[in-house]
Amino acid sequence: MKIAIENLTKKFGPVFGVNDLSLDIKDGEFVAFLGPSGCGKTTTLLTVAGIYKPTAGTIRFGERIINTVQPRDRNIGMVFQSYALYPHMTVFENIAYPLKLKGVSRQDQHKHVQQVATTMGIAELLERRPGQLSGGQQQRVALGRALVKEPDVLLFDEPLSNLDARLRLSMRGEIKQLQNRLGITSIYVTHDQVEALTMADRIAVISKGKLQAFDAPEDLYDRPKTLFIAEFIGNPPMNFATAEISGDKGSLTAQIGSLTLELPSKYAEKVARGQAIVGIRPEDITLVESDGVVGNVFVVEPLGREDMLDVRIGDQSFLILADPELHIKAGDNVSLRFNTEELQLFDPQTEKSLLWN
Amino acid sequence: MTTAAIPQPDAQSSDELFNFRTISRAFRSGLIVALVLGALAVVLQVVLHPLIASANVEENVTTVLGDALISLLPVFAYLACGSSARAAAPRRLLRAVIAALIAASVLYVGITAVESVLKLGAFQPRQSLQITLSQTDEGVLVEAVEAGGAADQAGILPGDVITAIRRDPITLDTLQKTIATSQVDDPLRFRIQRNGEEQLITARVGEGTSVQTSALVNNYVIALIAACFAIFFPRSWVAYVVLLLSLAPLIIGYLWLLIATFSARTHGLLPLDAQDNVGGLTLANWRFLVDPLGKGQSVWTITLNTLIVAIVMTVMVILVASMAGYALSRMNFFGRRIFLSFTLILHGFPAVTLLISIFFVLNFLGKIPIIGDIFGYNTLGGIALVMVAFELPLGIWLMKGFFDGVSWDMERSALIDGATRWRAFWEIILPQIRPGILALGIFAFISGWNAYLIPQTFSIGTNTATLSVFLRQFIGDTAPTDWNQVAAVGIFQLIPVLLLFVFAQEYLLNIYAGGLKGSS
Repeated sequence: MKIAIENLTKKFGPVFGVNDLSLDIKDGEFVAFLGPSGCGKTTTLLTVAGIYKPTAGTIRFGERIINTVQPRDRNIGMVFQSYALYPHMTVFENIAYPLKLKGVSRQDQHKHVQQVATTMGIAELLERRPGQLSGGQQQRVALGRALVKEPDVLLFDEPLSNLDARLRLSMRGEIKQLQNRLGITSIYVTHDQVEALTMADRIAVISKGKLQAFDAPEDLYDRPKTLFIAEFIGNPPMNFATAEISGDKGSLTAQIGSLTLELPSKYAEKVARGQAIVGIRPEDITLVESDGVVGNVFVVEPLGREDMLDVRIGDQSFLILADPELHIKAGDNVSLRFNTEELQLFDPQTEKSLLWN
Repeated sequence: MTTAAIPQPDAQSSDELFNFRTISRAFRSGLIVALVLGALAVVLQVVLHPLIASANVEENVTTVLGDALISLLPVFAYLACGSSARAAAPRRLLRAVIAALIAASVLYVGITAVESVLKLGAFQPRQSLQITLSQTDEGVLVEAVEAGGAADQAGILPGDVITAIRRDPITLDTLQKTIATSQVDDPLRFRIQRNGEEQLITARVGEGTSVQTSALVNNYVIALIAACFAIFFPRSWVAYVVLLLSLAPLIIGYLWLLIATFSARTHGLLPLDAQDNVGGLTLANWRFLVDPLGKGQSVWTITLNTLIVAIVMTVMVILVASMAGYALSRMNFFGRRIFLSFTLILHGFPAVTLLISIFFVLNFLGKIPIIGDIFGYNTLGGIALVMVAFELPLGIWLMKGFFDGVSWDMERSALIDGATRWRAFWEIILPQIRPGILALGIFAFISGWNAYLIPQTFSIGTNTATLSVFLRQFIGDTAPTDWNQVAAVGIFQLIPVLLLFVFAQEYLLNIYAGGLKGSS
């Protein structure tokens, strides 16, 4: 099922929940809505589900405008952060509830529920009540309930936020694999960029009710179109610095305080002289034995697999990643090499990328 | 090395029986208790009592309570001494006993000093003739007379023999009792034998200021016993004792109610028969269960009436309140906030003020065919309808609170699963607040069962009377009230309420807990 959202606006009184948001979701695509809390991603999802009616704009499932269609007539399945299981019903009754409402015969209910429960690996829990299940099991039941009526669209509202880290990792893979196999168009709301980056075919980054970008994960990461996306995507976050671009065509340099970076020649077409914001990801700054730019280590944060260093060059601070084996301590001087091929440049006024528009 | 670092309290003084710290702690506790109780008594008698009296309200609760506090104060203080001593020396009983005794003694001196200043307890002035008496065969012999005292002023001389007060013969015992119970300045007319002649002498009772040494000794013994007793009395029982003491009026009240229903008359908690002898147990008060009483009503018809009112009320309140509560909790509509505030105001509205207008409404309803026969004036339906109206504000607010506690996600999930809003309400949301519905139902039932004002006002005659109205008939304005009969009917009415409370208090507590969270 193709979903088209056109100029969607949802207002709560004078407050904008979603503001003029448009995006097209292809049939069978897995789309993540990514954004900070309260950015309007859940509002968009609930409008797609039919819980909220749009203030303006249209939502189409296929060619059909479904703005005023009741949730029960949209043939969707939804998984909530709180699981939203019905505590007074057994697991079987929970999963069978959508079928019961559809008027499916008792026999077929049994058959379908059994099938879904087997897929989800909860076949032996059918007689239990939700209160007797662990968080992960409850989430499987919720997923089973969403899948049992074979929906055209699957909606996920931060389904993994209440699980512990290890379980989240395995459920992530399971959901992705399930969606791949069933080919159901899915929208996945999350504030966790790792979830979005690993699971989604495309990510819609939403901030303050507006769509900031709608792109494949690698595009968002490697070719951020705005400063916001560059800041938001990636952990540890990208380093930013205000730079003065100077030099001739073909040999442009960016001056950041005392630090001079030579820009690759491929940027010559797009970049003009003057002020720009330079962005560089921590993994694009490497430690070298010698011959690099010298910086002073301000803070060392051990992350386990690597250490995160806050290195100061003049007044400018850069986050870089280092091998813990090097035993770098705060106060040490280190020598750095910048991989300028991956440098990002943004217009300080419009905050748009100078490279990818 | 590590064990040496652990501080060992009382390490050096472990062998001493006489430990100053223990004593001072015991004394401090006693002092605090004494001061607190004393302050309380002062507040009651010096502040509260004049305040209430200034409002022209006659009461003696404050004075009685104050007196009780003052007389019990020393005992409580000594008990605190002992209890604290035990706590200060938990494993050394003898030291605790010694500390308690010493602290109690010091406290006793202090309390006695205060009593002597305030003229309380043993120092309280009491009615006296300032005279020394002894019992002889002829009567009461006056052995000595205090110069300038009451007897001296009246002209009683040593050697006189008092034989009677007026014409009532006396003994030493009855004389002392008479003196003690009379007021100061009351005249007592003695018949006195002086040198073989009978004389009539009137003496006015005066105030003796002599200290009662026996009371002082008694008090000291009490102090020592109380302090020792507290040492052996488990501290954890204190709470229960205090609770039981404060509950005593309630317990005694219910006990009286129960005893009264099975006796002809009662004196206090004692059942009496017609000759004032203990006994006279009877089932006569329960005859109303079998024989129609008064104006030929069977109690069972009235019970049925009450049951109908209570059940109609329960059903209606649950139905309307749950739906209204849901709408107010979940839907946004014009006037929602105003409606909520108005229901709250209605909840606080005294029913009495609306009685006349409700009468007109019911009277009007009564003229409508069919509906009037069910909900009109002087019908059970009408009574139930009015009661429901008064119960609804509370019910709606309670239900709204319970619905507020159910997560939105559950309802959304039901809608997405394919339910209509109505079905989601019945099948998904309502089961979540079942404890609340049960609680409200019990609440409504009890208030319907116990209702008095509305049934009394809107039912005349006997067909629509409820138990409370029935009960009221026993308290006549002209004939003397048979309170034992009232008690029996009262207990009869109480039984279902008690049963409900016993079996459903778990749910009733929900009302005060204020809703449940969406579980899981």
